[in-house]
Amino acid sequence: MKNNSLVFPKKLYFFMLPALALFVVFWVVPIFQLFYYSVTDFNGVNYDYNFVGFDNFKILFSEGTLVNSIKNTLIYALLVVVGTNILGLAVAMALNTKLRGKTFFRTCSFMPALFSAIVVGFIWSYVYMPGSGMISSIIDLFGGDGSNVNLIGGFNTALIAIIIVDIWKGFGTTMIIYLAGLQTVDESLIEAGRIDGCSTWKLFTKVKLPLISSTITINIILNVIAGLKAFDYSFIMTNGGPGKATNTLMYTIYKIAFKDQMMGKASALSVVSFIVIIAITIFMLRLLNKKEVEM
Amino acid sequence: MIKMKRLAALGLAGVMSLGLLTMAGCDNSGNENGNGGSDGDITITMMYSGTAAENDFETEVLPDLVHEAFPNITLEVTKLPDDQYYTALKTKLASGECPDIILVQPMYAGANSVFGLAEAGYLEPLTDMKAIELSGVGASSFTYNGEVYGIPSGVTMLGTYYNADMLAKYNLAVPTTWDEFLNVCKTLKDNGITPIVMGDKDMFVMQFGLYQIACSEIYAANPDYDKQLRTGETKFNDEGTWDKVLSMYTTLYDNGYIDSSSLGLGSAQAIQKFIDGEAAMIFDGSFDYAAVVDAKGAVDFTRGYFPLPASNGDTYAAMAPGAGPAIYSGSQYKDECKAILEMLYDGESDMYKAYVDSGRIIPTYGYGYDQVNPIYDKFMSLYEEGKAFYWCNQAWPAGTEEEMESKLSEYIGKQGTTVNDITKAMQAKFDELLAASK
Repeated sequence: MKNNSLVFPKKLYFFMLPALALFVVFWVVPIFQLFYYSVTDFNGVNYDYNFVGFDNFKILFSEGTLVNSIKNTLIYALLVVVGTNILGLAVAMALNTKLRGKTFFRTCSFMPALFSAIVVGFIWSYVYMPGSGMISSIIDLFGGDGSNVNLIGGFNTALIAIIIVDIWKGFGTTMIIYLAGLQTVDESLIEAGRIDGCSTWKLFTKVKLPLISSTITINIILNVIAGLKAFDYSFIMTNGGPGKATNTLMYTIYKIAFKDQMMGKASALSVVSFIVIIAITIFMLRLLNKKEVEM
Repeated sequence: MIKMKRLAALGLAGVMSLGLLTMAGCDNSGNENGNGGSDGDITITMMYSGTAAENDFETEVLPDLVHEAFPNITLEVTKLPDDQYYTALKTKLASGECPDIILVQPMYAGANSVFGLAEAGYLEPLTDMKAIELSGVGASSFTYNGEVYGIPSGVTMLGTYYNADMLAKYNLAVPTTWDEFLNVCKTLKDNGITPIVMGDKDMFVMQFGLYQIACSEIYAANPDYDKQLRTGETKFNDEGTWDKVLSMYTTLYDNGYIDSSSLGLGSAQAIQKFIDGEAAMIFDGSFDYAAVVDAKGAVDFTRGYFPLPASNGDTYAAMAPGAGPAIYSGSQYKDECKAILEMLYDGESDMYKAYVDSGRIIPTYGYGYDQVNPIYDKFMSLYEEGKAFYWCNQAWPAGTEEEMESKLSEYIGKQGTTVNDITKAMQAKFDELLAASK
C-alpha cells in the first residue's frame, strides 16, 4: 500500500533532484572544501599547495588573532542583541498604544532598516567625524569641546561606535516583529489583569512578555546570528581599526583571505567561526525554548 | 485528467533538466578565451580592475580603436571593482577560462601581482616586445626570473601636497631636508595651523608618508634591501632601516604635526579638510590628484607637491610603475594580443595618444611626456636622474603593510606599542607570508 500512496507517490522524489543537486553543488561541497583547505597552505591562486596539518589553527591561536576576533565578535553580538531587542521592544510597546500619528512613527523607526549598510556606514562616519561631525558639532553647540570626541578613532570606543550603528539600523526590523507579536496578545487577558489589579509593569512582565515569548526567541536568535556574522561596519567604517580593535571574526577572515592571500589560514578561521556560531546558536535556541516553556 | 497531469509533470521535469543542462553547459558556451569566427574574425577578451567612468578608456574608447586598427579583432573589455576583480581573476585562472589580457600589478603587489601570477605559470613572457624597451626602468618591476611579464603604464607617485599660499604667508620655502620639513611643521603649528592632516581611519594612507621616507633613508643606501629581505640578509628590525623610517614618521605624531584626531578621519574626510584650508599639507598619491588639486574647497589656494625630503638632503622619490596589462599564457591569441599592446604602448599611435589624453597615466616616454603637469616637475627630474624607487609594499608579500599599519595605529593611539614592536611585527608577518607564498 505504501508504494501506491496517492498523496506522495515515490516518483515525486525525483522532483527534489534539481533543488538537491543545486544545494549540494553550491552549498554542501563548498563547506566540505572549506574544511579541506583549512589544513593546507593554499594561497587562492596557486593550486600547488601543501598540507600543513593543524598549523593554521596553531598560528591563529598563538598570534592572538583568534582570541581577539572572538572577543570582539562576542562583545559585538552581545551588545547588538541586548541593544536591538530592548530598543525594538520599547519602541514596539510605545507604538502599540493608541498614539496619534503612530503610522508615521512606525515608518520612521523602520526607515533605517531600508538603507543599505554602505549608505548607513557612510552617513555615520560623518556623524562620528572628529572636529566637524554631527556629534562634535552638537557638543560645540552646547559650549563643549567637540574636537576631542573621537569615538570611531579610539581603541576603547570604536567597537561600541559601530555597534551603535548596527543597533540603529537593525532595531526597526526587530521592532516590527515585536509589534506583530504584541498585536496577537488577546486584549481580554490584559483587561482581566487590570481587573485583578495588575500594575502596568506587572501587566508587561507577567502577561505580555510570556505571551510574546516565541517572538522574543526569534528576535534574539536572529540578532545573535547577525551579531556573530558582523562584518559590514568593520569593513565600511573602520577597516578593522584602529589597530585591530574592530576586527570581528568575519572581517578577519576576509582580511586573511583577500588581503594576506592566505586562503588556507582563512579557511581555518572559518572552520572555527562555523563551530563557534553553531555552538552558540544551538545553546541559545535550547536555552530560549526552555525559557519559553517556563514562561 | 490523470494523463494531463502526467504530461504536465513530464513537461516540468523536462524544463528542469534542460535548465540544469544549460547551466552545466555555460562553461563551454561562455568560453572566455575568444571565439574564432568563420571568416577569421576573432574576439579577444580583456579584464581590468576599476570602475568604468563615462567614456571610459578601457571599456569604451579602446575597443573602438582596436577595431579600427585591427578590423578582424573585437576587443571585449570587462571592468570590475578591485575586490570583485581579484575574485573573478582567481576563479577564471583556476578554471582555465582566463581572459586573454588581464591587469597585473608590479612585483608582489595585490592578488594580481605579476610575480605571483608569473610564478604560477599563468603569464606569457613579453620580454621581446618593443613596448618593454620603451618603458625603461619601469619594466624591472615586471621582471621575474629574467623575463618580463607585464607592461608598466606610466608612473604614479607618492608625495606631499601643500597649500602654497599658507607656506608663503609664513615665508616658508619648500623643504629640502628633513630638518627643514620639521621646521615648516613647527612654524605652522606655532601659528595655530594644523601642519598635516591624514585620514588614518583608512589605514592604507599611512603608507603614503612612510614610503616617501623609506626611499631616501633605506633604498638609497641599499637598493637591494627588499630582495635581501627575502633571502634573510636583511630584516625589518635591522638598525638604521625601518626603525629610522618609523621614528621619523612618528615624530610627526609625537610633536602634534599630524592632526591628533587622524584615527577617526577617513581618507576622503582628510582630503576635504585639506582643500577646505584647515591643514597645510597632506601625504597622498598622484592618483588622488583630481580630489586634492582639482576639487574646490571652502577656500581657494594654490597647491604644490613635493617628495618628503631626506635627512641628508639627498632625496629620492617614491614612484611606482603603474599596473599594466599582461597576456594569459593559455590564450589562443597571444600574437594578436601582443600586436594590440605594442600599438597601445608605442608612444605615438592614436591608441597611445588616446590613452595619455584620458588622464589615466603620467607618461614616461613618447606623446605627452613633455607636457606632464608641472606640479610633478620635482618628481620627474628625480625620475630622470634615476633617484626614484618603487613603493615598498610592492616588493613585500601582500599583507605585510597591513600589519605595519595596524601596529602603527596602536602607536598613534598610544596603546604602548613602540617602534621596535612595529618592526618586529612586520618581520614576523613578512616571514609568515613569505613561507606561505613559497
